[in-house]
Amino acid sequence: MRRLFAIFALPVLAASIFHADFRDIAAASGLTAKNIFGGAARKDFILETTGNGAAIFDYDGDGRDDIFIANGRQLNSPGAPAQLYHNEGAGHFRDLAKQAGLARTGWQQGVCSGDYDNDGRPDLLVTFYGHNVLYRNRGDGMFEDATEKAKLPVTGVRYGSGCSFVDYDRDGYLDLFVANYVDLDLAKTPHPGQGEFCEWKSIPVMCGPRGLPKALNALYHNNGDGTFTDVSESAGILKPGGRYGLGVVAADFDNDGWPDIYVACDMTPSLLFHNRRDGTFEERGMEAGVAFNFDGALQAGMGIAVADYDGDGLLDIAKTNFSGDLTSLYHNDDGKFFTDVSRQAGLRARQFLGWGVAFVDVDDDGWRDLVVANGHVYPEVEGKQLGDKYLQPTILYRNLGNGKFSDVTETAGPAFQVPRPARGLATGDLDGDGRPEILLVNMNATPSLLKNRTPGGHYLNIALTGTKSNRSAIGARVIVTAGGRKRIDEVMSGASYYSQNSFTLHFGLGALTAADEIEIKWPSGTIQRLGKTPANQTVKITEPGK
Amino acid sequence: MRAISCFLAASLLWAASAREEGIAAFEAGRYSVALAKLKEAAKDSHDARAHLFLALTQAAMGDCRTALPNLPATDRLAGLAAAKCYAAIGDEGKAFTTLEELRKRFPNDADVLYLRARLHMKAFNDATLAMFQGAPASYRVHELSAEVLEVQNRYSEAAAEYRKAIELNPAAPDLHYRLGRAILLESHNPEALERAAAEFRAELKLSPEDAACEFQLGQIAQVAGKQAEAKPHFERAVALSPGFVQALIALAKLEPAEKAIPLLKKAVELQPANEGAHYALLTAYRNAGDMQKAAAEKAILDKLQKPAGSEFSEFLKKLGEKPAKQ
Repeated sequence: MRRLFAIFALPVLAASIFHADFRDIAAASGLTAKNIFGGAARKDFILETTGNGAAIFDYDGDGRDDIFIANGRQLNSPGAPAQLYHNEGAGHFRDLAKQAGLARTGWQQGVCSGDYDNDGRPDLLVTFYGHNVLYRNRGDGMFEDATEKAKLPVTGVRYGSGCSFVDYDRDGYLDLFVANYVDLDLAKTPHPGQGEFCEWKSIPVMCGPRGLPKALNALYHNNGDGTFTDVSESAGILKPGGRYGLGVVAADFDNDGWPDIYVACDMTPSLLFHNRRDGTFEERGMEAGVAFNFDGALQAGMGIAVADYDGDGLLDIAKTNFSGDLTSLYHNDDGKFFTDVSRQAGLRARQFLGWGVAFVDVDDDGWRDLVVANGHVYPEVEGKQLGDKYLQPTILYRNLGNGKFSDVTETAGPAFQVPRPARGLATGDLDGDGRPEILLVNMNATPSLLKNRTPGGHYLNIALTGTKSNRSAIGARVIVTAGGRKRIDEVMSGASYYSQNSFTLHFGLGALTAADEIEIKWPSGTIQRLGKTPANQTVKITEPGK
Repeated sequence: MRAISCFLAASLLWAASAREEGIAAFEAGRYSVALAKLKEAAKDSHDARAHLFLALTQAAMGDCRTALPNLPATDRLAGLAAAKCYAAIGDEGKAFTTLEELRKRFPNDADVLYLRARLHMKAFNDATLAMFQGAPASYRVHELSAEVLEVQNRYSEAAAEYRKAIELNPAAPDLHYRLGRAILLESHNPEALERAAAEFRAELKLSPEDAACEFQLGQIAQVAGKQAEAKPHFERAVALSPGFVQALIALAKLEPAEKAIPLLKKAVELQPANEGAHYALLTAYRNAGDMQKAAAEKAILDKLQKPAGSEFSEFLKKLGEKPAKQ
């Protein structure tokens, strides 16, 4: 009886002591470069609105995650270079982008990371309006533009958006999926107020995406020799036709060991490419229940977060949407079908326009909370009585562990009380204290780095290195069993909005001081198990065998 | 005899020439020239074309009473001119009757549709002015002001006008409903949800069988995450108005698949082009494991998929009329 009481009393106790505390330490940490992206007070073209993403990744292998932040330009001025903030430790970062050869400018958009040449050093793909750039990590602190050498397109103009490295055929080499937003020709695009889709709430705003030509997504197969081949058509990626694709993430949604791909689409049905295990994909977003909202209505899909938020062993999806809409929460029912449970889960409709999004266990209680970056797309709304603001707060939903979330933004510390023009969002335990930080890319402003000071439970960080599988271990599934409960996660490339979360997986353990077992299902098919593992450390695991 | 024939032929030629010159002048907007030439041509009582264009010219010059007998509604141009003429002489009934005839013959003609919209707008303006002048103290003045403000997205001002209307006539139906909707259109924050719910409840006191209010209360409960509270409202909405498609869909989503499917089949039967109904039915079939029927629903949805409605249709939706009882 006493034991029963303890079981029921624990969640109540956890609920009462939850108190998130985030402080913005960007400036103090040296993250001071300003983002440049289109007009600050008005936007003439949709190109000026999408903004940038960021990557949290350890580019120099020193065991500390570094930060890459893409940067953009304005219509009539040259662009600003991206930043590569090297993690110096003790909460300090130093921008080494110039020294690292990342000085290219232009309409940069998103970023994803993956070691495409399996040399043990994570590379970067930065998407552009123009042509995307593949930065190969040379291992000496420098990156080289390997786009042409890798036989990725270097001519033509496409509006690259989200991207993801994914070993879709499990041959040990990372392939590349790139979403495209709009087939945009600025010379043919009307100006604000000049067309049917160039007004919002009766004010003239930039046109689109509705009314503008849709774009096709692309899948590039890694040939294993440092080059890629465009297999979009043969793999079935072009079959659904054009979309306004933004966020991308690849993950194994049906637990069959093969990575699927989900694309959040703006005002067109979102896409779920189911991996048919033969080098082709079947698009089944609508049947699966992740193309629309619960009413079957189109949404302005932006960013994606993937996690097993309810602990049932299947990866669920959160998707950010337009102002006034709910953040979508697609519960994975059985691997094949999802149900939009946004309302039931307590995600409220607010006048916020969501972009970056991540499931992150901020208090290490073992339940992944949800953080959503917001900022309106139209700066023109500022000062008008429309019920919308251009600068919007970042929202934190606490996972209550019963399938429901509670909005705890107001009590999540000073960093959550500041409205921002946010776009990209990436998470990672940057200071290795077991509590993940949140990085936000703010349009035409300096970034925010939300230091997590939330009192919490015990944790495990797990960093994987593939051998037979791709070196980044992208696609590896980790199952941590602790206290009789299994927690799953997967190494993913590209996620949130235009961004890359740390490859180091983070597991909150609550009051438990050790995991009973860690199981890794490597993309190669190898299954590896580790026994009892003490909490509060970063466990580095290399795939057995060659 | 030959001389007479030659004279007649010359007269006909001359008349035909006058008709064509008259028509050309009419099309160039030179109505005084057109009038003279067409009067000349119309001396030939058999020249229907000359008579028609003469009437069109007279109508264009404002001589509607002379023109009207020669403006048949079977002809597009003549019908349009006739409708304008009837409106100009204040016979709105005949103007609308003529336009209705035209609409049947030319259902997608932009000029016909434009004139129809314009005359309805004029009728709206005339009626509004008459009400503002004749009954300025009536609650209807505030009700109408509120509805106009609502269409203009000025929800808080609309709500204020609805409140004034309620103050003047607390027992008038629909006012609380419209006020609740205006509140919801402005915000979905918890406080707004509660205020809107209070208005729908107030409306139900006045009109206990108002299905739309029950539906709104169900929706509010859902937005607030109270699924259990939502269900009885949707059930009552469906009981009160069995053809209320949105309520059928909302209720179906709270039911297990076997109960949801008949509700949704009815919804798609009532509104075969309702994408939301088909999507919900697809999901219900899917949840019931009937993948063949789910695929059939997907095929229908694929066909229905089209670019999202224009801003104008959104604008019209905001008028938010209650569904007709079926």
